[in-house]
Amino acid sequence: MATAVEAPKARKSPRSAQKTSLWGWLLALPTAWMVAFFVSSMAIIVLLSFGRTTNDGYPVFATSTANYRAIWNQVYLELFLRSLLYALATVVISALIAYPVAYVIALHGGRYKNALIAAIVVPFFASYLIRMYAWKALLSDDGLVNSALRGMGLTDGVTFLNTRWAVVGGLVYGFVVFMILPVYASLERLDVSLIEAGKDLYHSPVRTFFSVTLPATRAGLYGGVLLVFLPALGDFVSAQLLGGASTYMMGNLVQQQFAEGQNWPLGSALTVGMMAALTVLMVIYLRATATRTREL
Amino acid sequence: MARGKLERKPLIPVVVTVIFFAWLYLPILAVALFSFNDKKSLSSFSGFSLRWYDALIHDSALIDSLAASLRIATIATLGSLVLGTMLALGLERVRSRRGRVIGAVTLLPLVTPEIVTGVAALLLFTGIGLKLSTTTVILAEITFSIAYVTVIVRGRLAGIALEVEEAARDLGCTPFQAVRLVILPTLLPALIGAGLLVFALVFDDFVLAFFTTGVDPQPLPVRVYSSIRFGVSPAINAIGTLMLLASGLLIVAALVIPRVLARGSSSLDLITGGDVR
Amino acid sequence: MTRRRSGLILPRPSRRGFLAGGLALGASMTLPGCAYIRDDAAVDAPLPESAKAEIDGDLIYFNWADYLAPRVLKGFQEEYGVKIVESNYDSMEGMYAKLAAGNQYDIVFPGAKWVVKLRREGKLRAIDKAELQNADQVFYSGSYFNDPWYDEGSQVSVPFTVYKTGVGWRTDKVSTMTNSWEDLWNDEARGHIFTLDDQDEALAMAALILGYDVNTAKPSELEEIKKLLISQKEYLRAYSSDDINNMMGGDAWIHHMWSGDFLYLRQGLADDPTQFDFQSPSEGVPINSDAYVIPTNAKHPGTAMLFIDYLLRPENAIKNMKYLYYPFPVKDALPAFAELAADVPACNVEVSDLENENVFRLLGADETQRRAAVWTEVKAS
Repeated sequence: MATAVEAPKARKSPRSAQKTSLWGWLLALPTAWMVAFFVSSMAIIVLLSFGRTTNDGYPVFATSTANYRAIWNQVYLELFLRSLLYALATVVISALIAYPVAYVIALHGGRYKNALIAAIVVPFFASYLIRMYAWKALLSDDGLVNSALRGMGLTDGVTFLNTRWAVVGGLVYGFVVFMILPVYASLERLDVSLIEAGKDLYHSPVRTFFSVTLPATRAGLYGGVLLVFLPALGDFVSAQLLGGASTYMMGNLVQQQFAEGQNWPLGSALTVGMMAALTVLMVIYLRATATRTREL
Repeated sequence: MARGKLERKPLIPVVVTVIFFAWLYLPILAVALFSFNDKKSLSSFSGFSLRWYDALIHDSALIDSLAASLRIATIATLGSLVLGTMLALGLERVRSRRGRVIGAVTLLPLVTPEIVTGVAALLLFTGIGLKLSTTTVILAEITFSIAYVTVIVRGRLAGIALEVEEAARDLGCTPFQAVRLVILPTLLPALIGAGLLVFALVFDDFVLAFFTTGVDPQPLPVRVYSSIRFGVSPAINAIGTLMLLASGLLIVAALVIPRVLARGSSSLDLITGGDVR
Repeated sequence: MTRRRSGLILPRPSRRGFLAGGLALGASMTLPGCAYIRDDAAVDAPLPESAKAEIDGDLIYFNWADYLAPRVLKGFQEEYGVKIVESNYDSMEGMYAKLAAGNQYDIVFPGAKWVVKLRREGKLRAIDKAELQNADQVFYSGSYFNDPWYDEGSQVSVPFTVYKTGVGWRTDKVSTMTNSWEDLWNDEARGHIFTLDDQDEALAMAALILGYDVNTAKPSELEEIKKLLISQKEYLRAYSSDDINNMMGGDAWIHHMWSGDFLYLRQGLADDPTQFDFQSPSEGVPINSDAYVIPTNAKHPGTAMLFIDYLLRPENAIKNMKYLYYPFPVKDALPAFAELAADVPACNVEVSDLENENVFRLLGADETQRRAAVWTEVKAS
């Protein structure tokens, strides 16, 4: 493992000019692309958020703040909070699943490590929509799961679907992969002797985990949290397929404004508001975790 | 790298892992099972039949869609790998405020709800007078996949000390050679991992794809998405099973081929895993 | 030739400019003027001519997924030696957005009020009945469709299917149905009731209970509708348009349903048809229809005309009906539908139904947004 060395620093100056220009050049092309396509399309959304709709239903640019005033109401704010809650629950449950699974594969997988990881990723390729819909079929009141439970005499039938747990379960199902992979990557690079040492020191697997394993794999966890939380928040599929009468999420709301609601300016304002709130959260989160990961 | 192995297999994590795999594959097995269902039901299996596959094979729209999906996913993956890696390399080494801003902006696609990216892309393309077509789909997919590649590659890059590159330069490499001969090879596992991830995401994308397709054969998920609100027919299950098989084979190929070529280096050190050897 | 650029409309007077690659252009940045949607197509602008019914290329087809029998599509391709290139939409709004973006489809299947909207914007071309050999199957003397409410003089559309919305239920689980929309508040089925996840349908259902017009956008009436729908939530399991599978899977004992879906459920899927029944509530039911239209910018309108003609052949209409279980107003095919619906007369759509006023009309943006706000609040609360 490379260790910090002082000497090269002194020699950096003459080369760094060269280096910066190469890296700067490398940065330029994709940046130009992102600006051309992403930034400009997002700019349209921001501009549209100040717009309005003509009577014939066309979105039009304007300079109105009506949309922003409209989103500042109790219903939307509660919806945002509910979505935050579901996304947080998704993150927590994903982490609770990801750590044991990644741990077992990384540290006890041996020869089968790669095959096991592949086995986790492959289902990911089989159409998110179809897999989520399959849950709907499996968990319905007369579906396979309930039929099996009834057959075993365990219960008369459990209402799985159309509950908030179904929605969170769907979100976890869809996004847990994004937590497992970064955590696995961190664990995979971990020096096992650290864990052994921890076990000797703490005499308890739980304490070892919290004092040794978890801090050492922080980078993976933080990355996973980001990659799970953000898409979960904006998801609409889970609530639409598996949700109930009171599980509406931000993703569904935004979807509605662009579809049935025929109100693109309002939808844009909702998106900008949501992204602003998330950006604030993300900045706080990155600051809080940045100093820690630098140590690694 | 996990040196050595721990002696005892911890019980609870193993149990969790087993349950997890069962849970992960349960809907897949259900999809596969019901794709052979005789009747159109999704709750009870009444008999074995290949009728849905038979219908699919004769469905030329499906085959065109599958071809379109594969083409789009392949090109988009390559495009976003190139751009995302360049971005990651640049961001990791340019430690200025501008670099940080660009870094933050590249994460924004992850935050944006899909329908917004779809509408935004639609408005952008029509705004600059670009006709919608497979090309616009690819452009949009690349744009929104770069973020994933950048995050993954940066994670891996952080583990490659600056000094390795310095050492290469000390030995006489130009910066460009250093990138090509030293950094890229060590990034290979991350690139493969990111590539697989992006391919899966683009192949399965429906919202962005819907808003940016022209009249060319549409990507497969758009068709699935069109029916999902009103219920899914077993033909969809057959499609799902086929997609799964196709992707399974693809992953196996992606794993085996580099292994055969590189002889021993583990190419499935996915997503920043792997050794800096 | 006007260059077909697209962008959003700018309110006049407004600055025109170009959104270049960078944000650095500052405040003077706007999209090109030529509209994403043209607002200056006058209603009385001359209707683009109908095409002749002849093959002029492959058919670029834009419809819901799985909305025509595959056999029929295949038959057309084989008979005329052309390909059908299919694109699907997930909603009428999505369909509209793609059309407005300039995509050139040859045939589209909008709902009635969307025919009005597309026509008004000059996006549809005429369909000359004289070109269709099977025109008299639909446009016979005295037919409602010679002058439907959504297409005066039936110039730009050919009816595709018609349907009504009612309530389906499990006869083995519920015995207290009263042939009213209020059955969606049935206590026996509490927690097993579904309402369609459709703004127009849900608001219409409440409006009919309260005796209001299904298209109402009056704030006072909408307020009452909102309260009524929110009061349903303690009985409601979910808002879902996947009515068939909700019923089949046992999750739904009472479902706000489309007539064709119910017929398919009962006659096509159910092991025991008598387990399900359907009612057309006495307060009135919404009637809707879908139509074939050919966009003005279609590249192969001739093929589209032939396709419509092909679908109007009774044998093909029958194949489609047996696939979808929705009635196609093709004269010689209707007896076959009557047979399908024999056990559930409530699913039949009579011509007299078509003339009632419970149709979803095109509304102005303000009205649509008021309704949307109500629907949002109902779903979000």
